[in-house]
Amino acid sequence: MVAIQILRDLRGLRVQVVHPPDNERVRLVEHLRRIGCMVETQWPVPECWSDNCDVMLLAVEHDVRSDIQRLLKSGDGPRPTLIAVVGYEDPSTLQLVLEAGAVAVIERPIRPFGLLTNLTIARSIWLEKRETDKRIRKLERKLSGIQRIQKAKAVLMDGQGLSEAEAYESIRRQAMAKRLSMDDMAAAIIHANELLQYRAKDV
Amino acid sequence: MNFSENTGDPWRVGVLFSQTGVTSAVEQSQLNATLLAIEEINSGGGVLDRMVEPVIYDPSSDPKQFRSLAERLFQVDRIRLLFGCYMSSTRKAVLPVVEGHRGLLFYPTLYEGFEYSRHCIYTGAAPNQNSLQLAKFLLATYGNRFLLVGSNYIYPYESNRLMADFVVQARGKVLDEIYVPLEAAPRDFEKVINRIKKTSPDVIFSTVVGRGTSVFYEAYRKAGFDPAKMPIASLTTSEAEVAEMHREAAEGHITAAPFFETSSSPSARRFVESFKARYGPDAPVTAAAEAAYFQLHLAMRALARCGSDDPERVLKELRDSEFDAPQGRVRIDPENNHTYLWPRIARLDKFGRFQTVWNPGVRIKPDPYCVVQSLDDWSADDLQTISH
Repeated sequence: MVAIQILRDLRGLRVQVVHPPDNERVRLVEHLRRIGCMVETQWPVPECWSDNCDVMLLAVEHDVRSDIQRLLKSGDGPRPTLIAVVGYEDPSTLQLVLEAGAVAVIERPIRPFGLLTNLTIARSIWLEKRETDKRIRKLERKLSGIQRIQKAKAVLMDGQGLSEAEAYESIRRQAMAKRLSMDDMAAAIIHANELLQYRAKDV
Repeated sequence: MNFSENTGDPWRVGVLFSQTGVTSAVEQSQLNATLLAIEEINSGGGVLDRMVEPVIYDPSSDPKQFRSLAERLFQVDRIRLLFGCYMSSTRKAVLPVVEGHRGLLFYPTLYEGFEYSRHCIYTGAAPNQNSLQLAKFLLATYGNRFLLVGSNYIYPYESNRLMADFVVQARGKVLDEIYVPLEAAPRDFEKVINRIKKTSPDVIFSTVVGRGTSVFYEAYRKAGFDPAKMPIASLTTSEAEVAEMHREAAEGHITAAPFFETSSSPSARRFVESFKARYGPDAPVTAAAEAAYFQLHLAMRALARCGSDDPERVLKELRDSEFDAPQGRVRIDPENNHTYLWPRIARLDKFGRFQTVWNPGVRIKPDPYCVVQSLDDWSADDLQTISH
């Protein structure tokens, strides 16, 4: 059902075609419209990512290499699904394709057959990657939280001679009393300990 | 290098419809219609004073033969325009050859959509021109519990996917989805009949094509089911398939198509009368034949306008061109090379003739890349024209 949803969403998908104005671009735009996408064209390579496009088809040309690199460095905000349009498959073109983070490649001359497939695969990989990134960020946050609690427990165990279970219980009770999360409580304990350590050394 | 421009030689065109094999009945009707149109043009003096000469082969419902005969037509017979194909598998086999020779294929058959080649003109219905309307009619008339049966190839799968989607939209249920071999024998339908008995659906949606169709309808009849309560509905059961079954086996079942032999408009009557006069009263006139007929006329009119059978120039003339076809005025969509058509639905009467039960009188733009169609795209008012 996820697969069919991607196909459904292709209708009305906002596609920006960054490609020199020529016959190839005309064919590309015509077929994207046939598929049902909302298409806008753009050339030269824009300076930054557009807010209102879901997919960018980017002509990877050597003579605009620096423009492409400038675009890639611009902003950390959300990026569209990137599909490269190439006329060569030599290593330096491919390097640029990889650096750009393209998830699919369309070759010139443009043929209608295959565009729908590429669009679908690109969208699927990109959505999956976005989900994965989200999950990784969440896990990273969780992991560093666990590490903090671990460290706070060590502080209490060392400083107050508690067992691990007692240290944990102590953090939990204090967090509840102060209406803080375990993570924040742990951070406060670590912080306070650092202050005390500093003074101890200072004296 | 060519060809016959500005000479008295005939215009040679390629014609590939199967006269043998599993889908020969309907393809023979397409061949008949193509030749009828050519005769009409020739008896009127040809195109720019040159006769039209068809080069005809029988590809036997086999994709490989379609491919090699298409190669022969382009390489040996030096044709540039090709008329033919019924099953999608045969069109897919022929198209690379047509594209390789920069030719133009005219394809007069309903199919599953999701294709565009600038070397092909599609004159049969895309799913948004028949499936949607049929689904809406069936859901409103019979209920929302469907059993899907099809031949085992691409068209039935895609058609069934779309129909299942409509059924789900109507909060209905697909009870089962069964595929039979293309060359289906009676025993292949035993499982289908058993499933019908067991599940008693409101509608059986059939995408069985060719000879298996009559076998299926006969089996249904023999099992004693009632078509008034549980009809077989189809997009591919045409006059040609009905001609292969007993009348009693056909009665009560439903088909959606842009044209029926019984269509009553003057131009439809004229077409059917000429067809029967030429091929006999029992020769079936199908929607696929009607498309084969008008596409030949459309192509030759384009040829007359540009004075050449150069596919690029013919293509340019075809874009946006309109033609008074037997089904009504059709038009080639310049965006996708498909055709604006007139959806209709008919029920088979006790004489095995299609009687129209729904005819909104609306011409529909082709949308071959429509992944999901909403049932709400048609207002309920359209369905009140149904006469029972």
